[in-house]
Amino acid sequence: MSTTKKPKTFTFISRSAPYGNNRPRLCLDAALATAVFEQKVNYLFMDDGVFQLLANQNADGIASKTLGNALETLELYGIDQVLVLEESLSSRHIGSEDLLFPVQLLQNSDLQSLIDSSDYVINL
Amino acid sequence: MKFSIIVYAAPASSQAASTALQFVKTLLHEGHDIYRLFFFSDGVHNTNRLVVAPQDEMNLPQEWHRLINNYEIDSVACVSSAIKRGIINEQEAKRHELDSSTLLDSSEIAGLGQMVDAMINSDRVVHFG
Amino acid sequence: MSTLHTLNKAPSAQLLASCIKTLQKGDAIIFIEDGVYHVLEAALLESIPPKVGVYGLREDISARGLADKCEESIEVVGYRSFVELCVEHDKIVSWF
Repeated sequence: MSTTKKPKTFTFISRSAPYGNNRPRLCLDAALATAVFEQKVNYLFMDDGVFQLLANQNADGIASKTLGNALETLELYGIDQVLVLEESLSSRHIGSEDLLFPVQLLQNSDLQSLIDSSDYVINL
Repeated sequence: MKFSIIVYAAPASSQAASTALQFVKTLLHEGHDIYRLFFFSDGVHNTNRLVVAPQDEMNLPQEWHRLINNYEIDSVACVSSAIKRGIINEQEAKRHELDSSTLLDSSEIAGLGQMVDAMINSDRVVHFG
Repeated sequence: MSTLHTLNKAPSAQLLASCIKTLQKGDAIIFIEDGVYHVLEAALLESIPPKVGVYGLREDISARGLADKCEESIEVVGYRSFVELCVEHDKIVSWF
């Protein structure tokens, strides 16, 4: 595998709520794998994806791993560009204070340049 | 141009895997190349050698198998997606003491790193889910 | 850099609204699979920004009995053009 090339920019858009399906987990796993390759990774929570960030999750009762814990690995893997679409939060009546960890808010007007500056977009 | 294709969908439950196959056939016919096919999540069901399709329906795993062999395409089923769906090669079958392998021999089982490698080394990546 | 967007869900999934937020001049969108039901939705199609190419995949449109029902703003194309659109744009974002 060649990793000697100039790093590319990958943007992962996570648009699904946790637990109901496996898309949040797929998106996270793919992003962590990408970070291992020392690529530039943006991770954006959008639409129902913002529900993944709610604090106080406990999935013990539904035989699942609590996703919130896994999300904290984003930073451990060196993914520091963790973004949340502000409109997706506000339209779901969620405030920044309801979230697991501090996040960088993204405005709709910044979405186009985020996509534009990416070499690859993984949209789940 | 070099493409990689990522398939998230199983045959038989949605159209996406069939669209992916048709897309890949077309791009090869147009003279483009496939760097890698990567079957992720439910997409790994496309690499099951034990699928039986009714006579009047397409057997999607067999169609992929033929195409992959004809064009000598690099095809990978994601290991973490595959083993939890019963898609295993002989090595995995032995390791987990199972009586049979299910993976078509035109694909191999490998980690997500192969998906990242595919993206980095392709001019275009198209996702079908 | 321009982007080709693919979208494969019917209008009821409201995926187009999310996609539109990311669209910019020079991009294109191709409706495939159940996404082709968008060919019936004049108002939704009008919400796509100007200078964005709007396409529908012929095979999926015909399969669903929509061939003579497409809004004029949709260009109906086959798989070869789908591949060509991927080549013409710098990257592909799939909405599914």
